Order: sequence, then structure tokens, then C-alpha cells
Amino acid sequence: MPKRRYLYALSAGLVATIGLTACSSGSSQGPDSPQAVPTGSKAAGKKITVWVMQDDYTDKTLNAINAQFTKETGATVDVQTQQWDGITTKITTALSTSTPPDVLDLGNTQVASFAATGGLADLTSYKKDLQQGQTWLGGLVEPATVDGKLYAVPGFAGARAVIYNKTMWQKAGVTSAPTTMSELESDLAKVRSAHTGGDFSPFYLPGQDWYVAMQFVWAAGGDLATTSGGKWTGGMSTPQAQKGLQAFKKFQNAYSSKASQTLFTDTPDQNQVFADGKTSAIVSTNGAIANIQKANPSLKNSDLGTFALPAAEGGTQPVMLGGSDWGIAAKSQNQQLALQWAKIAASPQIQNKWVFGNDGWIPNSTQATKAAGANVPALTKGFFDAALRSKATPASPQWATIEGTKDVNNFFSSIASGKQSVADAAKSFDGKLNKTLNAG
Amino acid sequence: MSLLTEDRRPGLAAPGTAHRPRRAPRAPWLMVAPSLTVIAVVTLAPIVLLAFVSFTTYDQRSLFTGIYDWAGIDQYTQLLQDSAFWAATVRTFLFTAALVAGSVVIGAFFAYLLTRLGTVVRTILTVSLVLAWAMPTVASSVVWNWLFQPGYGVANWLLTKLMIFGDLTDTNWSNDKWLAFVVIWLLIVWQAVPFIALTLYAALTQIPAEMTEAARIDGAGEWRTWWSITMPILKPTFLLVTILSVIWDFNVFNQIWLVSGGGPGDSTSTLGVYAYKTAFVGFHVGQGAAIALVTTVLLAAVSWMYVKQLVRSGESL
Amino acid sequence: MSRRGTISRTGGPWVSAVALLLALFWVFPVYWMLNTALKPRKDVMSATPKFFPGPPSLDNFRTALTQTNFAGDLRNSVIVVGATVLVSLGLGLFAAAALTRFTFRGRRTIMISILVVQMVPPSALLIPTFLVFNKIGLLGTYLGLVLAYLALVLPFSIWVMRGFFLAVPVEVEEAGRLDGASQWQILTKILFPLVVPGAVATSIFTFITAWNDYLIAYTFMQDQNRYTLPVWLASFTTPDKGTDFASQMAASVLFSLPVVIFFLFLQRRLVSGMSAGAVKG
Repeated sequence: MPKRRYLYALSAGLVATIGLTACSSGSSQGPDSPQAVPTGSKAAGKKITVWVMQDDYTDKTLNAINAQFTKETGATVDVQTQQWDGITTKITTALSTSTPPDVLDLGNTQVASFAATGGLADLTSYKKDLQQGQTWLGGLVEPATVDGKLYAVPGFAGARAVIYNKTMWQKAGVTSAPTTMSELESDLAKVRSAHTGGDFSPFYLPGQDWYVAMQFVWAAGGDLATTSGGKWTGGMSTPQAQKGLQAFKKFQNAYSSKASQTLFTDTPDQNQVFADGKTSAIVSTNGAIANIQKANPSLKNSDLGTFALPAAEGGTQPVMLGGSDWGIAAKSQNQQLALQWAKIAASPQIQNKWVFGNDGWIPNSTQATKAAGANVPALTKGFFDAALRSKATPASPQWATIEGTKDVNNFFSSIASGKQSVADAAKSFDGKLNKTLNAG
Repeated sequence: MSLLTEDRRPGLAAPGTAHRPRRAPRAPWLMVAPSLTVIAVVTLAPIVLLAFVSFTTYDQRSLFTGIYDWAGIDQYTQLLQDSAFWAATVRTFLFTAALVAGSVVIGAFFAYLLTRLGTVVRTILTVSLVLAWAMPTVASSVVWNWLFQPGYGVANWLLTKLMIFGDLTDTNWSNDKWLAFVVIWLLIVWQAVPFIALTLYAALTQIPAEMTEAARIDGAGEWRTWWSITMPILKPTFLLVTILSVIWDFNVFNQIWLVSGGGPGDSTSTLGVYAYKTAFVGFHVGQGAAIALVTTVLLAAVSWMYVKQLVRSGESL
Repeated sequence: MSRRGTISRTGGPWVSAVALLLALFWVFPVYWMLNTALKPRKDVMSATPKFFPGPPSLDNFRTALTQTNFAGDLRNSVIVVGATVLVSLGLGLFAAAALTRFTFRGRRTIMISILVVQMVPPSALLIPTFLVFNKIGLLGTYLGLVLAYLALVLPFSIWVMRGFFLAVPVEVEEAGRLDGASQWQILTKILFPLVVPGAVATSIFTFITAWNDYLIAYTFMQDQNRYTLPVWLASFTTPDKGTDFASQMAASVLFSLPVVIFFLFLQRRLVSGMSAGAVKG
């Protein structure tokens, strides 16, 4: 459907639904001119539905957003918490009905597929207003942008950094966090000589942990796939990627247990491995610290520390930004209310006070992240440092399939375990990437 | 009228006595109608839709926008030319055979065992079976992954202690094609046996004990009694349980996915896993529909002979 | 002559010993689940497995019970699964009886169709069924979920019960007819009681299948207040933050309990009451 007609229909619909008169502007302007998110308080008695993924936001944060929303519009919010297992099926089927949820919390690796297939509303004309003066983090907004059009609003980010057992390191003679790869390696050597037990890993890095493995590849200048002229090309066979893969294999084999070469972070749960003292360092996201302490309450904040994984090439390794975006269903019956809700959720105030302040996430913009980094306790500073250099997965709607089939996990674990040579594994994975990313 | 003097196999009427005094032919229709209606709405309608969709390019976009293209038999030709499909098909046949053989044989053994036990031990055994059957897949797959975990797995530990296979502590079962199949086989059979055992056991209790008693008194061994006396009577139920097992095992997905994800590579991808990986994970519904229908046809072809026999064995009633 | 003539002679102590050993082996993973559930979280992983919880602790159960909406999900599961079991029993008994004790045109076609529809891979049918239910407005309703479960269990149940009906000789019905019983009475008072073991086996199958389903319930129900217990169970796995195995195992134990209770309630009926030569009347 031509963009112009869609915009007319959208705006006409908006106007018609709530009878706004003066506030909304631009319903008769061209498609490229920005529109303001409607504001108004004539929606009392209406209710919108917001789907939130379990553990993404605390109740307090959601209540704060809802309170402001109700204050501004008079409408109420029905928050539904969803489970991760089977979520793509659930969202896909829900978006196909005529009464989908209005706002959805979408993981940033999944949003591209929903955006590209017409499930989400086109928010491009509202982008400037939604940004509210901020520069959104690349890893959050790129997957939400398809063909130059915006389909979701960045919500929050999580970055991966090294969580290490400070106490254990101090006992081994390491007094400060490493800032270069060679420092890290000598630190790990010291830790290893202090722990000669059988199943101890100085640095626990499961072979399937592609989020971290990719950091090595990115640091060396490689990438998963590149696109030009609408065609995707797998990038694992490039010299840079090969260099990064070799570095990953060397690091993983040297410092993590043999058993871990073919495992993922969940069985066994690497937080538990850390909590049990079987390793002195893991790479994980902000939320892991709470889990570690739940698993072993004797590990206090003073026992732990974080730092961004240094790159052998200098600086820190680019990290894969996790996080989520707020999408609005294309068939939502309350689009303008949904827009207002999303704008509030993405607003600097909510981001600073609640998303970062209360939930501890990395906020959705570079400005807010820098500001947060200045105020963040030393313990979690590593995550914010890491987030400053971030990359995302290919913004192809088919990327979700690569993740869903676990091809990417298997690729890295076959390298770590030596089952395939780095070159061979890269060749076959590139083949899969070319086939899948360019399909449909 | 004694059941012992005539060759009276339940299900087979003696010649001459099989008369059908059937009144209103309406009665059976009334009895079967509610089930048929339910099945028509909730099973047939989706199947018809699935068949239709297999000739289109229906995908995620179609779900959202309602737009799709007619594809004719393209989905099918593409499928039949995919070597991965054929590999998955062969794997499925072999794996199903292994699963069904295992489940049915072990299930029959348990059923027989249950008939020879006193009440207390029998209850213990049946409760154990039901506990295994009732365990939710999320828990059983976690436990299974735990049991065979490299480094911490209990099974690895126990097998190492047995000292037959050497040190298995660090074996990653899901990273090797054969080992993965072993683990998956164990998981599926472990949860499939209870139903087979209990159903066969229930059927066994319908067989008058006097028949096996007489054989035993006459000095026939257990094995002989089983084959000559019990099995012939049990045959219809046995056939039934086997065919249902074949149907279910041919299409099993969850357990394979949770243990090996179809890997390493594609080496444990059966048709169900193949369908998921190529089509359903990306919501290429048209493509997935074609795979599903071809799978159904294959399964029907394989089981046709048995289905015919099964239907016939009950028809002379 | 023995009345309940089926289990008259047990095989002796060796047989019992073998049976107990097998039971132990079979129940080991379940035991491991329970073992883990009772361990304090830090004991869950160790290179040398601990076969008994150090001191057992109920903390994990407490954590499990207070997690998201246990009571509501339990209630929904009980309603939906209870209805499914009852309806499939009722429908299945009559259908199986019709298909075995009567001849009528189309019988064979119906029987084969009921078998063949089970051959379609269930995972392929999720989206088409969703689309059909969406059209008829069954999404989000208890009725819709019950019907979806019936799709899974009804064909299976009919075929299994057919097998049990076939084992009942014609004479039994004829004797009843001679006594002047009506068709209805023959069915409900004579035939059905004789297939109770088959009905029990399929009811347990129906219960477990419906009780354990996650994907259909999660996809078809539209409001989180209507989610069933498997959705509660799924809440113990979060990909990013790692899984609290101990609590997940405790939750799984709780989740499995109703099934076990249901089974224990019915298990005596697994044995046929039919004795040799006895023709009721």
C-alpha cells in the first residue's frame, strides 16, 4: 500500500476515533513530514493492552509509565506478562487477529522479523517526536528500522561484560581489573595457578555462547553478514572474521573447561557455576549479578566486579546489545493511545529514573547511557562501558530463523570443540546465512 | 456356555452365531455423531486449510496482511528436490522403527510382569510408570540434560564407575550423532512405555486366567504360554498399540528438539525437526504445510497394511 | 472357580524383585527431580552427584508456590482438563461402541478417517487451528481450549476403546437382550462397565496430554488470567537471567502431583472385572 495512502488512512482513523480537533497536525501533509504524537485527554474509559516479557521491566517501572499515561489521556492500561518459550508463535498469531495487543515488548533480535512482514505499525513520521531529542542506541534502533522505516521504539538495552570474583582474584594476587587483553591473560594465569582443582575454569565461556564469541569477531573487524542492494552475504569467511574466530577458539580452549566447549550458558547455568566457585569470571548481562547472589548469598557486592572485555586490537570488544523495543501492532485498535504510551516509555525521564534508576538497565539513548555511566556504582560500571561500543545482529527479518534453528550456536561450538576447522565451519555457516537471510 | 471349549477369540464370533440384530440404523449414527462433529471442526477443518495452504506461499506476512500467492505444486517440487528432506525421511523411518520396537517390546514385558505380581508390588510399579509418564517435558528434558551433562552428569558418573566404557565424565552426548540418538531414544521410550504397558495390561486382564492357568498346569513354560495362548488373544490390542506408537513416534518433535536441536548439524533431524527448521520457525506456513502433508502420506503408506489388518481383525464381530 | 479370575497366581519373590528393580530404574529421573527440588540451591551442581539432599529443604517449594499466579493457573487447568477428560470419555465411549457393536454404512470409512487424521504432525496444525478458531470466535475461551484438546485425544481414545470393545463377546449383549434390557441399558449397564480398564487407560492419557500442553494453551488463550499451569511452569525458565533449577524442579514436582493423584484414584479400575465364563445377567 503506498505510503501516502497509509498515512492518510492512519491519521484519518486517528482523528475519527477520538475526535481530536486542534492538536494533531499534518494529516494532510506529505509523507515525509514529521508528525507529532497526538496528545489529549479525551480517552477516559478506554483501555489499551500492553504485552511485557517476563523479567524485562519491574512492576514499579510499569506502574510509573501507566500512571503518567493515565494522567495524560485518561485511559487505563492492561499489562499482560508473557513467557519467553513460544513467544514468537504467540506474537505472530496475536498480530494476525483483529484485536491484537496494542503495544508489545519485543526483543531487539526479533523485532526485525515482525517489522518486515507487516505486523507492526509504521512509526516513521512520528520518529522525531518519539525521539524527544535523544540519539537512540544503534543496537536498538537498527533492528527496528526496515527499508528506512521505523517500526518500534527503543525500550532498554543490556550489555555483556565480564563479571569476576574480585575476592578470588585478589587472593591470587590481582589487584585491579585488566584493561588490555594481555593484562587479562596474565591475570587469568595467576588465578589458574592459585586453583589447581579439577573442574575449575579461570574464565568460564561456553562454546555455544555466540553473543560473546561474536565479540572477538567484531573486535577483529568481521561481522555476521553484510547487506548490499538487498542481498545478504555471510561474513564468517573473511580474513578478519577468521582472525576473530581463531582468537575466540584460543581463548575459550585456554581458560574454560573442556566440558564447556559444546555447552550453552544455561545447562549448567553459568551463574550457578560462578556462584559455586567453579570459575572466577563469566560474561553476562546486568541481571546476572542478582542471580549470582541469589544462588550464593555469601557473595557480597564487595566480592564482585565488572569490566568490559578488552580487545586484543585495543579498546574494548564491541558487544552485542541485547534489549528490547516497543512495537505497536499494525492492526491495533488504539494506535494513537499506543503511540502516547510508547512515547512515555521512551521518554528521558522514565528512562533515567526508572529504566536505569530502578531496573538497572542501560537506557535507550547514548546521552542517557553516558549520564547513567557517570552515576552508576562501580560494580555495574563494566556494563555501561561495554555498551558504548555495540553492534547488533543483521537487521534481516530472517535472522530470527538462524537463531531459532540454533545454527549460530552450533557453528561456534563446533569451532570451540574442534569438531570442525575454523575455515570449514565458517564456509558451511556462511552457506546457511546466504540461504536463509536471502529467502522470502 | 463355557468359553474354554470353543475356539472363542474375543472379537471373532463363531461361525453362524454372528448375527446382527440391529434395530434403528439411526442409533449408531447418533452415538458417533457428536464425536464426528467435534473432529470435523477441530481436526478436519484445520487439515483442509493446511492442505490448501500447501499450494500457496502463505507465510508470516500473509498472517499479518492476508496477502499470499498461489504456488501450485512448487512447494512440493522444491521439497522433493531437497536432499536434506530425503535424508530426514530415511532417518525418520529408522528412528521410528527403533522407537516402536523398544517401546512395544518393553511395554509388553512390563504388562506381562504386572500380571504376575502381587497387589503391593504391582501398585509400586504402576505408580513408577505413571510418574515417568506424567513428568512434564520441561522437567524431563532438564533432568535428561542433567543426567547426561558433560562434567556433572549423573549418568556419565555412573557409567564411568561401571568401568566398561572408560571415562565418560566429559562426554557431550548431544554433540555426537549416535550418542544423541541414544539419549533421545531413552527419553522417548521411557515416557512411552507406561501407556503401552498399562493398556496391554488392561487388555491382558480381559483374558480369562483359566486359559493360562490350564496351560501352566499342563507344564507349558511361560514363554510358550505367552506365545501360544496370550498373544493370539492379545493380537488386536497389540497391533493397535503398535500402530498408535508408529504414528506418534513418526511425528515426535519435542524431545528431539530439546535434547539435540536436530544436531549436531542435521544429523538427528527427523521429518518433524526438519519441518520446524526449514519452515515453521520462520513461519513459512505454506512450505511447512507441504512437508506436513508429505509426512502424513509417507506415514499412511507405511502403516497401510497394518491399518487394513487392524480394521479387519475387528470386523467380523 | 475364581471370580476376579485374572490375577490368581503371582510369580513369586524373584519376579517381585525384578519388578522392584525395574521400578527403581524407571523412576530414577523422577526421583532426581524430587532430589533436586529438596536441595538448597547451592548443592544442585556438584562433580560428585549427591544422591540425597543434604538436609532436605522446602525453600524451593515455597519459592515455586509464590511465583506468578499459581492458584489462578491451577484453577484454569483443573477446569479445562477436567472438562476434557469427561467429554472425551463420554463422546469416545459412545463412538467406539457404535463403531464396534453395530454395522452401518460408512463405518469403515469413519474408522479409517479417525485413524488417518492422527497422522498429520500436530505441530503443523497449530497455526491452521488457530486460524479456524479465530474465525469461529473460540479463541480465549475455555470451550475453545477443551475442543483443541479433544482434537488431540479423541481420535486416539476412540481407537483404543474400540480395541477394548472388541474383546467383549457378542454373547454378553445377547444375554442382556434376552433379559429384556433396552439398547441404552445394554450399552450403559453391560458394555461400558466391561471396558472400564480401557476407559481408565485412555482417561489417564487424556489427562496427561491436556494437563501438560503448553503451546496450545499459551497461544490460544488471550488473557493471562486464563493461562493454565504449564504456563506457570514455563515462568521458571528465563533465557537471559539463567534458570533456578532447584525451584524449577520443585515447580515440576507440584505440577505432576495432580496427575499422580488422578491416577491413584483410578488405578484399581485398570483391572477388568470380567471373569471367565460369567455372563452377566
